[in-house]
Amino acid sequence: MADLNDGRIDLHRARSRFIAFSITAAVLLLALAGRLFQLQVVNGEVYAGRVAAVRTVEVPVPAPRGLIFDRAGRPVAVSVPSWTVQVRPADLPDPARRRVLSRLAELVGVEPSLLESRLDAFSGSPFDLVPVARGVERQAALLIGEEAGDLPGIVVEVEPIRQYLDETGAPGGQLLSHVLGYMGPVSREELEGLQADGYLRDDVIGKSGVEASFEDELRGTYGSQLVERDAAGRLLEVVETIREPEAGTNLMLTIDADMQRLATQALTWGMDVADVSQGVTVVMNPQTGEILAMVSLPAYDSNQFAAGITADEFGVYLTDPNKPLRNHAISDIYPPGSTYKLVTGIAAMEEGVTTAGRQWPTYGCYQIPGAAEGECLYDWNRAGFGPLAMVDAFAKSSDTFFYQMAVATGIDPLAAWARHLGFGETSGIRLPSEEPGIIASTEWARQQGRSGVFTGEVAQAGIGQNVIAVTPLQVLNAYAAVANGGDLMRPMIVRGETDTTGELIREYEPEVIHAIPADPGTLETMRIGAREVITSGHAYNISELDLPGALSGKTGTAEFGELNPGGTLPFHSWFVAYLPSAAGATDAELAIVTFNYSAVVPGNVSAEVVKYFLQLYYDLDQDLRLDPNDFSLVTAN
Amino acid sequence: MGVATATFVESFKARDWRHFDLQLLLYVLLLIGFGVAMGYSAGYNDASAGGGMTQTVKTMMWAAIGLILFFVVASVDYHWLRTLAAPIYLVVLGLLVLTMLIGTNLFGAQMSVTVAGIDFQFSEVSKVLMITVLAAYLAGRRDRVGRLSTILVAGALMAVPTLLVFRQPDLGTALVFVGILAGMLFMSGASLGWMGLLAAGVIGALPVAVSMLQDYQRQRLFCFLDPFADPQGACFQLVQALDAVGSGGWLGRGLTVGGEGQRGYIPVQSTDFIFTVVAEDLGFAGGVVLLALFGLLLWRILLVGWQARDAFGMMIAVGLASMLLIQVMVNVGMVIGIMPVTGIPLPFVTYGGSSLISLLFGMGILQSIRMRAHKPTL
Repeated sequence: MADLNDGRIDLHRARSRFIAFSITAAVLLLALAGRLFQLQVVNGEVYAGRVAAVRTVEVPVPAPRGLIFDRAGRPVAVSVPSWTVQVRPADLPDPARRRVLSRLAELVGVEPSLLESRLDAFSGSPFDLVPVARGVERQAALLIGEEAGDLPGIVVEVEPIRQYLDETGAPGGQLLSHVLGYMGPVSREELEGLQADGYLRDDVIGKSGVEASFEDELRGTYGSQLVERDAAGRLLEVVETIREPEAGTNLMLTIDADMQRLATQALTWGMDVADVSQGVTVVMNPQTGEILAMVSLPAYDSNQFAAGITADEFGVYLTDPNKPLRNHAISDIYPPGSTYKLVTGIAAMEEGVTTAGRQWPTYGCYQIPGAAEGECLYDWNRAGFGPLAMVDAFAKSSDTFFYQMAVATGIDPLAAWARHLGFGETSGIRLPSEEPGIIASTEWARQQGRSGVFTGEVAQAGIGQNVIAVTPLQVLNAYAAVANGGDLMRPMIVRGETDTTGELIREYEPEVIHAIPADPGTLETMRIGAREVITSGHAYNISELDLPGALSGKTGTAEFGELNPGGTLPFHSWFVAYLPSAAGATDAELAIVTFNYSAVVPGNVSAEVVKYFLQLYYDLDQDLRLDPNDFSLVTAN
Repeated sequence: MGVATATFVESFKARDWRHFDLQLLLYVLLLIGFGVAMGYSAGYNDASAGGGMTQTVKTMMWAAIGLILFFVVASVDYHWLRTLAAPIYLVVLGLLVLTMLIGTNLFGAQMSVTVAGIDFQFSEVSKVLMITVLAAYLAGRRDRVGRLSTILVAGALMAVPTLLVFRQPDLGTALVFVGILAGMLFMSGASLGWMGLLAAGVIGALPVAVSMLQDYQRQRLFCFLDPFADPQGACFQLVQALDAVGSGGWLGRGLTVGGEGQRGYIPVQSTDFIFTVVAEDLGFAGGVVLLALFGLLLWRILLVGWQARDAFGMMIAVGLASMLLIQVMVNVGMVIGIMPVTGIPLPFVTYGGSSLISLLFGMGILQSIRMRAHKPTL
């Protein structure tokens, strides 16, 4: 037993430390007892009172979001119940975790690893609810409810989500995606400004389109209730309704879903045959500014967002070079090309540069005044047209005629008239992310650190090239203003408010932004020119359509970007048109613009799209569509 | 060595059992009984826990296994633990590394390893094993115990497992490791001056440790300073616990009754927050009885240490006493708002097989020390 001696205890030292340790332990235990006495006996009644009060809590009651109808009263955005499965990690015992999650995955119809990964990705408190599956089927939700006893920590909540419908009433989030937009969870930054308005941490908010721009109307006012909850946080009963929720306002779009479908069909066809990747068609009532159809392709699916879009799905949209999430009709700006000759023509006549009847020589190439000899700007028609007055120059789209008009008018008066026609400023349509565009002026040049606009640029501004960038909606609205006799209308996307069945109960008034300060004769000259564009055959055979009116319009070809290997520039194709009862009349109720981005075909694919749309919309027996790849169409500009 | 063989055979000699400490076993059984009753009450109103029965049955099963282990360990001479100190240390490190590598995720922390459907929290048994390792080291340093090197080596031995559990992150167990180290060093007779200096260093390093925590852990940790600062968020649990404890009053609301009220809001009430069940159901009286039981148990353990035949036995006893004291302090303290909220089980009472079996293993060692204390060697 020799090994035990070296372990002999130093009795003297051990005694004092044993005593110290024992006293410390006793004091600590007594301290616990003392605190317990203070909590339970001294303050016990205070806590008991708090306990009774804490069981009832005030909870917000979300208001039903306003419905959205098209102008014919068809529902296009409705709210449907959706079930969300949530996990409270603290209530999910670890031994049961695998079993519970795999059973849950089976019921929901997803891979268990997906639920695992969503749960693992959550880094907050284990007492928070973690949504692991949204948009769960009703049947699955009911089954989860039945098995609640075997699925600890799992909470199923029903919440309304948006469903977007197409013109037939079937779910379809592509048709009106850029008009209606989509909903998404409110972000932390958004919440900071909105908490005072009753937004909740897990709230949803309109992120784009009418959902965003009419968020205040659609949301309504949340109510609140006093409810009694059981231990697990489940609702036992509503004790008292403090404030009833007020449902959101139901809205009627100015859009006709049928017309939207036809416009989509026509544009899709045109983009397909001409191999174009981005296109726009907008249809408007020139008298009121109501947008009847607004198509921007490629589109996205609003319904994908309603059920909670995955990062992968969202990433596909974000990285697509054709920017499907953007409404190209209002959020992107392009050179307007010859459609802009409307501005140059009005400016030249109003500034006294020319009269409707005065003829000007035209050239194959226009010598830039003040520039070196031979430094000239070509006409699209290298032969020139001979002497032309305004109407013919507009109808034939003579570039050299409008170079001269622009240079003689001057860049600043030209810019002023552009603004009179709605360019360079947002139209104020109630949709988010509208771009004002770029209109060259002396001030614009100075902002770029230059003394002024070069004469060559002034000439190019006259044909909507190089220093001019506009949205398709601005082009449409300018022509609509000329078509209605001179009132620049505020484009409308919502027509008014309805009851829950889609009956209009309050109509929004059309709004005139301003009257174009031009002589009525000037505008009439341009209307006659626009009619001539069609009748002269400049837009091919579109004049042969049996339409209930005198179709008038303008083609446009806008070069942009860098030279092709063949020495030509890629170009966008434009066609803008309206349909009055007779040539020069101001009673048009339909105006349309089509834009095709980088259309590398000889013909004007946008004119073909408009033609096809008119055939479909007026249900004509004719089919005059041409193949825009046909090189015999190369004369158009 | 013939000695070891002789000791092993002696282990089973009947005369050892005359010195068996019945009181120690009694207090342990009462505490386990307390835990069973409280676990039943906590689960009573929770349908998902099987009406409390499943957990109660399981606890009894674990207690039965633990008690068998208790008697087996008591019958074996505890000096085996000293012989095997080095391998035991390696086993502790191995178990903790294993937990880190293949542990299942619980509340964002990897604390347990699942084998055959049963979760093992190796950190629980690690606490008891580390006590034997430290006891072996400190007992061997009797004549040089006053030196700084003794404290440093003991600290280094403890630092490795402490960092491993801190990484899980299991703040509570890390804290218990540090507490055990402090208690054992103190009782080993280590220099108070050096210990004080090192303690100051540890306190100085606390802000660094706190900064390594996740946000929610940090928030919970500091709730006790002002629980009503964020009563719906990070401090929800503590505020609910305070309400539950406070509403217990003198005599409590009665077993299973409390669950219909406030306590139902408290997550993990059958584990780390079990004391709220005691306080709400049995009131101040129940809480004091429970604390008294811990006091009596500590007294018996310290007595075993005092009467131990050798320094190794004494060090194990005071190590276990330190462990129990700090766990009771931190667990009860957090529920009543005088300690930061960390996950530490209340010994014997908190539901959990790993904790219960490890504790009974420790109590078995104590009995072994006790039964061999009166050998005529001192």
